[in-house]
Amino acid sequence: MPRSKDPLFYALLATTTAVFVYLIGYVFLIAPVAQLQAGGLAQKIFYFHVPAAYAMYLCGTVCCVSSAMYLLNPSDIRDAVGRAAAECAVVFGFMMLASGPLWAKKAWGVYWTWDPRLTTTLLSVLVYVSVVVLRAFAGNGEAERKFASALGVLGTINLPIIHYSVLKWGGNHPTVIGQGGGGLRHPAMTHALIMGFVAMTLLAAILLWARARLALSVSRVARLEEQAIASGQLDY
Amino acid sequence: MKQTPSDSATLADPSARSTEFVPVQGGNETTSAASLLITAYVVMWALLLGFVFLSWRRQGRVETRIAELEKALSTGISKLGAGD
Repeated sequence: MPRSKDPLFYALLATTTAVFVYLIGYVFLIAPVAQLQAGGLAQKIFYFHVPAAYAMYLCGTVCCVSSAMYLLNPSDIRDAVGRAAAECAVVFGFMMLASGPLWAKKAWGVYWTWDPRLTTTLLSVLVYVSVVVLRAFAGNGEAERKFASALGVLGTINLPIIHYSVLKWGGNHPTVIGQGGGGLRHPAMTHALIMGFVAMTLLAAILLWARARLALSVSRVARLEEQAIASGQLDY
Repeated sequence: MKQTPSDSATLADPSARSTEFVPVQGGNETTSAASLLITAYVVMWALLLGFVFLSWRRQGRVETRIAELEKALSTGISKLGAGD
């Protein structure tokens, strides 16, 4: 996390913590248990699993926009935001991929199945992993930045495919919300899900902020080193 | 532990015991929903806290390096090794 002196950052951090404490208490103590076919008690994973998926979409969209902007007009801040968004998309993607199979084990009897939505989601997370790995190991040059930005745009193109894959190709994945879904049949369930979305939005914002600051600091180090080498004050 | 009538009948009848194990499709799921729920929450929080810890540690290293470089550039006499 950034050792930031910005009061807005700490205000956001405090709000995020408070919302998460409320959400956890609400999900475990107030939200009712769903029917056995949906996993019974394990269905409560849903209140974090779906918002984590949404947060991955959110970070993917930020990655796509900032990467596209970087490709059009390169700048350190656009590169930093794109890189930070890809890293956050990986974290939320792993949160979703870790929680989903545990719920599936109870609801479906298996941890994993090659369902269209699961497969396309895994593919999308792997694209963001490749962006992160590329930036971590391929250097900080202009060509590497542009290649990673192009990959960031490509990864986000896959997101609408995930969203509509269940409608187009069927599969086991539930379609509770939106077209064809019966929705959440208890107000407490709806409230828990909305609070989950609020909590994950705040968490995504705070992680993006922190990682973008870190990426900017890394760029600043690289520039200072170049400056020091050019002026002869730093040896290779 | 108190035995139910069905338990008593099974134990009293040696012919009812299993003599082989046969695999079945979609056998009864016995995994505890509570343990799956708790595992999911623990794994998710572990992932998040791990990411925050790595970010915090890296930010500290980068800030130290910036301070070193700024000092070297301002004094103009330091001979620091390259690399982060």
